[in-house]
Amino acid sequence: MKNDNAVHTSYAPLTEQEKARLVRSTRRTDIRNIIGALFLVYGILVTATGLLDPAADRALTGGIAINLWTGISMLIASALFFVWAKFAPVPAEDILTSVENIDEKRAEGEGAL
Amino acid sequence: MVLEAASEGVRLDLKFVDYLMLIIYFVTVLAIGVIARRSIRTSMDFFLSGRSMPAWITGLAFVSANLGAIEILGMAANGAEIGMATMHYYFIGAVPAMVFLGLVMMPFYYGSKVRSVPEFMLRRLGKAAHLVNSIAFSVSNVLIAGINLYAMAIVVEAMLGWSQWTAIIVSAVFVLVYITLGGLSSAIYNEVMQFFVIVAGLVPLTVVGLHRVGGWNGLKTALMETDGVSRLHLSAWQGTSIGDVTNPIGANWLAIVLGLGFVLSFGYWTTNFTEVQRAFSAKNMSAARRTPLIGAFPKLLIPFVIVIPGMIAAATIGNQFADGTLTYNDAIPKLIQMYLPSGVLGVAVTGLMASFMAGMAANVSSFNTVFTYDIWQEYIKPNMPDDYYLKAGRVVSITGVVIGIFTAYLASQFGNIMTYIQTLFSFFNAPLFGVFILGLLWKRMTPAAGLWGYIAGIIAPTIVWIAYLKNPSLFATGTAETLYGAIISFVTVMVVSVAVSLFTKPKSDEELQGLVYGVGTIDVKSDHVAGDTAWYRSPALLGTVALALCVGFYLPIV
Repeated sequence: MKNDNAVHTSYAPLTEQEKARLVRSTRRTDIRNIIGALFLVYGILVTATGLLDPAADRALTGGIAINLWTGISMLIASALFFVWAKFAPVPAEDILTSVENIDEKRAEGEGAL
Repeated sequence: MVLEAASEGVRLDLKFVDYLMLIIYFVTVLAIGVIARRSIRTSMDFFLSGRSMPAWITGLAFVSANLGAIEILGMAANGAEIGMATMHYYFIGAVPAMVFLGLVMMPFYYGSKVRSVPEFMLRRLGKAAHLVNSIAFSVSNVLIAGINLYAMAIVVEAMLGWSQWTAIIVSAVFVLVYITLGGLSSAIYNEVMQFFVIVAGLVPLTVVGLHRVGGWNGLKTALMETDGVSRLHLSAWQGTSIGDVTNPIGANWLAIVLGLGFVLSFGYWTTNFTEVQRAFSAKNMSAARRTPLIGAFPKLLIPFVIVIPGMIAAATIGNQFADGTLTYNDAIPKLIQMYLPSGVLGVAVTGLMASFMAGMAANVSSFNTVFTYDIWQEYIKPNMPDDYYLKAGRVVSITGVVIGIFTAYLASQFGNIMTYIQTLFSFFNAPLFGVFILGLLWKRMTPAAGLWGYIAGIIAPTIVWIAYLKNPSLFATGTAETLYGAIISFVTVMVVSVAVSLFTKPKSDEELQGLVYGVGTIDVKSDHVAGDTAWYRSPALLGTVALALCVGFYLPIV
């Protein structure tokens, strides 16, 4: 076990190109984009259900078209998540630090700090 | 009008679109696991997300880790059974402790760079107390994960008609896969997503429910006409005078404030590693301190979509609770069945399934950290390279889930014994808080005092509880017993720890740097990044506003 540690001790520093790619891919899979996508799909499904069968939509609720209201609210929430991720992206330095401080994290994981 | 549409059982009529949403959710959960897997290179990445998370994510995860489906169904049940007094669990029983954690305790936790709550015990009070704490935490957490798994299976069987084993295996396998892949990051991202889905399911339920009972005033009127419900259901504090206790909790205001608001709440929110771990994963001191403070805001708002539906259930189907057709735990599933058409129905069911899984994942992801770092690395296999502990973490996670499934099986065979075990575990947090708070404030406290105070603090409430089981007339209700038991535990810790400290040798000031109030200084601003100094990110401000809201929200329901 001890020996293969040596293989990992130092990572070659990332090139500018690799850094840019890492930042891009991390931002694309930001949790806000994932939730935005989930709410987009759910919003479409719920709104469509409400539009396709308006009578069923109101039958249990005492007159509120709950699928339409919920579906449209989810679509708005989805848009807000996308906008938020777009205009306040994860800082590039945060993304890069977590790759560059590997030796430090490894030491902490070994209980050496 | 109010008592219509009440039928047998809580079986839901899911259509294709509802199942589709459930399937999409399960796929997304796995996708998050795969994405989180990419950033795991060290054991710290696996156990503490490499200390890289922003505060809004850890803050939501902090609340969400506690928002398991058992909690949701249980608190709605309380809402139906005891009404507004349930708000205590969200207001005084949570917010002051969260503010205290963020403002006072987090600088010690995060500043000392410990990787778990038991590790803080190790630094401050030495190996003996640490070993007891680590084992107690590991055992209780993995067993609680199993008990919750079984509780989930019962609900899913009732709602969806899946067999209990299908429900157990499906959720356990999904949790296993995403935790083993992505570790704590997986758990946290899923908790954040679960939070929004459960809100998207519960808000429509509350809106429709209130509409059906004729709004807030209609709810009050309907409740007054329900058997077994009195005006006390509509207020949180009436009937709690000392010597004249008539409220449904069965405890006076002092016991509520000290037992629930102080000991139980501070014990749970400030020393339960399942919660505190979320803050440890924050990217710097500022984000770690803001984690529980940001979490306090959703915590204050959640009861409006959990406790209120519980009360709506009491108003509309109270007769079925009274005659035993339904149990109080059926409140939310029953309302979903009565009020939500296919479409929103899928969102609500997905939200419940998501919170079932997130609750279990939170237990597993804190168990694997404590077991790997605090037991395996500290006592069994020290000085191994980091990769070894990363692999160990994955193996421990798998083992934890398997033990959880086995516990779920035991729970299905011996339900009562499991409830007892669960109660027993609830005695673990209160004494831990007693030990920590004394250790933080009093540098004279010795390692021996930590060990014996902690053990005495577990034994004392156990004795009180056994006495209550033998003689139920000792306390008005089980909840009242818990409140007094917690206070007794805390006082025992104080007395025993102080007494033992006076006769044993304390640690030197050098060893206590950054671990005790007034010994050395902690610079909470040293790792600030751009933006941390913005006025709206000030921990003091966030904490003050949270406390003010906590008081303000009580005003309409005094």
